[in-house]
Amino acid sequence: MKIWKSIRENYQNELILFGIFVGLFIVMGIISPDKFLSAGNLQTMCYQMPEFGLMALAMMAAVLTGGMNLSICTGATVASIVAGCFMATTFANENPAIGVFVGIIITVAVAAVTGLLNGVLIAYVGVTAMLVTLGTKLLFEGLGLVVTKGGSLAGFPPLFLKVGSGALLGIPYTILIYIVAIVITYFLFERSVWGTQVYMVGCNETATRFSGIATRRTVLLVYIYSGIMYGLSGVLISSRYCSAKTDYGSSYLMQAVTAVVLGGTSISGGSGTVAGTVIAVAIIQVVSNGLNLVGVNRYMINMITGIILIAVLIVRYVSGALSDKKKIRERAARARA
Amino acid sequence: MQKVWKNLTKSKEISILAIIVVLAVCITIVNPNFLTVSNFFDIMRSNSIYGIMALGMLPVLISGGIDLSVSSTITLCAVVMGKFLQANPGSNIVVAILLCMVVGALAGLVNGLLVTKFHIPPIVATLGTQTIVMAAVLFYTNGMWISGMPDWFLSFGDIQFGAIPSAGKVVGMPIQILFLILVGIATWLILKYTLMGRGIYAVGGNVQSATRVGYNVSRVTTFVYIYSGTLAGLAAVTDILIVKQIDPNTFSGCELDVIAIAVLGGASVMGGIGTVFGTFLGIILMAVIKNGLVLVRVSSYWQKVVMGIIILVTISVDVINRRIEKARLVHVDVEE
Amino acid sequence: MDRVFLEISNVSKTFPGVKALDNVRFDIRPGEVHALVGENGAGKSTLIKILSGVQPPDEGAKILIEGKETQFAHPIDAIKKGISVIYQDFALFTNLTVAENIGINETIEQKKKVVSWRAIQKKAKDALDFLNVQIDPNAIVENLSVAKQQMVAIASAVAQDAKMIIMDEPTSALSRGEVERLYEIIDLLKEKNMAIMFVSHKMDELFRVSDRFTVFRDGQYVGTTDADKITEEELIAMMVGRKIEVKRYANLEEKGEVVLRVENLSKKGNFKDISFELHAGEVVGFTGLVGAGRSEVAQAIFGISPADSGVVRVGDEEVHIANPAQALEKGIAYIPESRQTQGLVLPKTIADNITLPLLRTFANKLGIINREKQMSAVDEWIKMLDVRPNDPTMLAMQLSGGNQQKVVLAKWISTKARILIVDEPTNGVDIGAKDEIHKILRQLAKDGTAVMVISSELPEILSVSDRIVVMRRGRITAQMDNDAVTQEAIMQKALV
Repeated sequence: MKIWKSIRENYQNELILFGIFVGLFIVMGIISPDKFLSAGNLQTMCYQMPEFGLMALAMMAAVLTGGMNLSICTGATVASIVAGCFMATTFANENPAIGVFVGIIITVAVAAVTGLLNGVLIAYVGVTAMLVTLGTKLLFEGLGLVVTKGGSLAGFPPLFLKVGSGALLGIPYTILIYIVAIVITYFLFERSVWGTQVYMVGCNETATRFSGIATRRTVLLVYIYSGIMYGLSGVLISSRYCSAKTDYGSSYLMQAVTAVVLGGTSISGGSGTVAGTVIAVAIIQVVSNGLNLVGVNRYMINMITGIILIAVLIVRYVSGALSDKKKIRERAARARA
Repeated sequence: MQKVWKNLTKSKEISILAIIVVLAVCITIVNPNFLTVSNFFDIMRSNSIYGIMALGMLPVLISGGIDLSVSSTITLCAVVMGKFLQANPGSNIVVAILLCMVVGALAGLVNGLLVTKFHIPPIVATLGTQTIVMAAVLFYTNGMWISGMPDWFLSFGDIQFGAIPSAGKVVGMPIQILFLILVGIATWLILKYTLMGRGIYAVGGNVQSATRVGYNVSRVTTFVYIYSGTLAGLAAVTDILIVKQIDPNTFSGCELDVIAIAVLGGASVMGGIGTVFGTFLGIILMAVIKNGLVLVRVSSYWQKVVMGIIILVTISVDVINRRIEKARLVHVDVEE
Repeated sequence: MDRVFLEISNVSKTFPGVKALDNVRFDIRPGEVHALVGENGAGKSTLIKILSGVQPPDEGAKILIEGKETQFAHPIDAIKKGISVIYQDFALFTNLTVAENIGINETIEQKKKVVSWRAIQKKAKDALDFLNVQIDPNAIVENLSVAKQQMVAIASAVAQDAKMIIMDEPTSALSRGEVERLYEIIDLLKEKNMAIMFVSHKMDELFRVSDRFTVFRDGQYVGTTDADKITEEELIAMMVGRKIEVKRYANLEEKGEVVLRVENLSKKGNFKDISFELHAGEVVGFTGLVGAGRSEVAQAIFGISPADSGVVRVGDEEVHIANPAQALEKGIAYIPESRQTQGLVLPKTIADNITLPLLRTFANKLGIINREKQMSAVDEWIKMLDVRPNDPTMLAMQLSGGNQQKVVLAKWISTKARILIVDEPTNGVDIGAKDEIHKILRQLAKDGTAVMVISSELPEILSVSDRIVVMRRGRITAQMDNDAVTQEAIMQKALV
């Protein structure tokens, strides 16, 4: 009971979001029980959600520090293109297991390096995150184009497809990777020393630095972490196509911002939960998948996502303004008494 | 004189100008065709669309905001105009242009209201409207091209002014460049000579002081988004006058390129700083990179790499310079 | 000449828990410099906020301008009535030119749509000529020296046809020569029949510029006198008040070994040749005027902005601290002056704030924090320092000033630092909490910590310190034991 109460107090926003998610899930289930709730469709969702979810976690990390990461998508593709150069070799094709394994490692490692570049420029040089990642977005995209000559890089071992489509005990690898990433992210951000420092830096960098925290290092690690997350997403994306190309997944950039904000993370930094982001991702996924099944045009689905975002923000503002007014009235009443 | 020189070298505009000159010289040495009037008109014509949008983005950035919805606004306006011209082939160019600008202004007004009335951070508000409007337009057109514009409209896009002999041909200045120049002059006049324009700088520089001296911050903020929308509308006309048909997909994602031009031209995303002259340099730099690399047979794939590096280097140098100056600041008048 | 420009009476201002102004009065005539004098917390800045329309006074206040009763609903109202404030940060648009900062106001006021640069230039030139200062009207304000920015702010007030200018600690960031220049400007304004309210607590300049003094103490009106009818000592006595028995905690006997030794520490534009020692178990009070370089010394020791030269030894070890994280490792703690922006992360909880420097001690090998361990430690600190309300999940921004300061203290005491530097520990703290904080600092010293207290409030310095170090213009001018020291003696060293 007590636990429930503390959840209700501390995770109010997440509970509302979860309610919306459940509501949407039920509505979709009623509208199209045979299609939406079919095992095949649920599995499809499980394959699709992780790519997007990992991108959203990558974005969330940056937003928590009061920053922004516009380079998540091109960072992911440049990493998978570099890895692709290795996976397309005859060596990799002759030794598919090693080839795929090393390929995945290279993707994540290169993505981490792209994150390192962002982090150094943001934390140590001190340039606004928005500008740095706008620059690196173009840089990574350009490097990818230079390697691929604008086309796609293919010829990977067919085994690589298994990453995106295989399953362990009926659970897709993709969803396993996503769950592990969520759990790790939760512990890192909401339970660990470093994560707490991230939130503090996002609220007030000066006070945190004055408390003896190496805030530059904290921020640098955030962007490396962001790189690892979009690197993993890059692995899933290129595995789905079994190839690598610069514009794969490019639509995830703005969607990731949408999910993070919808999930309750403050765009000015310092507050937000992993659960909120994950639920927001699930909401967007259910909306797009469900409406798609009942034959709603995919553009219409995007539109509905945008409307949900704006509506939630307006509701949050209005209810916040109302409760502020109430508080002021109460305080005035107390002062009079 | 020394002071003037010092101020010049300090300004971001001059460093961008220097980069342009160096690039232009290098490219011309390899390929003399680069530095001809006809080539200049060509590259400026095709970049005029981005240029017009960047000039709309400039006041938004100066005020301390950001507008991610220019991509959806230009698409919306282009489609509205395309459908309008298909239905009313007997209309005229003035109506067409006005229609686009009004639609753009309305889209901007929505952004302005979301930011000022509901206190939604600009980056999120404009992201939301971008998603909604872009999806609505694509839904309406189903992503299909719109063509069959009336002849009088298309021929308007081929108008050239003057006759300058260049590389064995006689060329005139395309009307699209005239649009760009007119918008540049208008933006300059607004920013420099209207109280609204000065209010934009004041709000971006110090919101509290701006309120204190009596600027209406909400009105200034709403204005910049309306202006950005209006120019995105005009950019839509310019685009159709070049491409002669409407592809609802071409502009998705272009908002970051537009911001990049303004930032290259010295505008600060933190607000308060930015000039029309600088933005023009940003446009020219972008055009030179795009066109010049092709002329010297460097694969066009390097364009974005070069752009990215120039952005990263110029902003880093700027930040480091500022930090050095700040460290020199005297806190206490120490008794010697 | 005897016509009064502004006359206020019955002005009070109540904040939750504190009565910042209690029934004060003040009046000023055209062409006079009337200084408002008082120590920190006397209510000077509250009165400025009321006169500039930033905050309304409590009901019942009477404000007369040229004999007419008036009220300010918005800062604009005050400006229109002819009252301009030169704030300490000048409130200029640093991204714009000098001319625009001075001349644009008229355009705004007249609600013109189009800006006439010629008119603005002329307005700016007139105002600068009026003040007889040489500043390029086309320079960007950001690139000007502090003194010139101040001139721009004054010119801007002149251009707005101000009849009364309020100068809030106008010399705190100026060099000697620049201060002289400011005096000339003030004389000039006086000649041109401007009323000037001069707010300061520096004796030399008060006597240099003022015609009359009004003294406030603890939010109350003490008295008004002509400048030529009072001596420096008498004015100080008025500011300090009846000789209230200051609780003196000084204990000159028990002193441990030296834990911090600073030798010839210098930083260009901040301080020079600073040498002193801190012993375990003593409280050393650093005093002097605002802008004497006290905080700069502390921030250099703590690694926020390291010194250029000199040696710092912690115990016997020579240290080179480049950032606060290293200072923390060496056992140095620093509680900054600005609690709201530097001391606390306001939107986070008491618990998060207290445990911030030492999070690692509550974590396992993987870096995961043990919440129970963390909370029980926090509970202990809350109890020990009597933070109210005693709810660790309360946000720091919801606490009163005194309790906020206790949270900051708890944060640093918990690190078991050997050296604790506290900058203005009781700024904006009510009387009750003040004494509690003093007791906590004494207790820490008793437990063996070396405490360095930076404060502009002399009673505070006299109350908590064992030893007193006085700074003036970036240098140490005196070090003395706190046995028979008087406020007046310290003032002498700080001023002259």
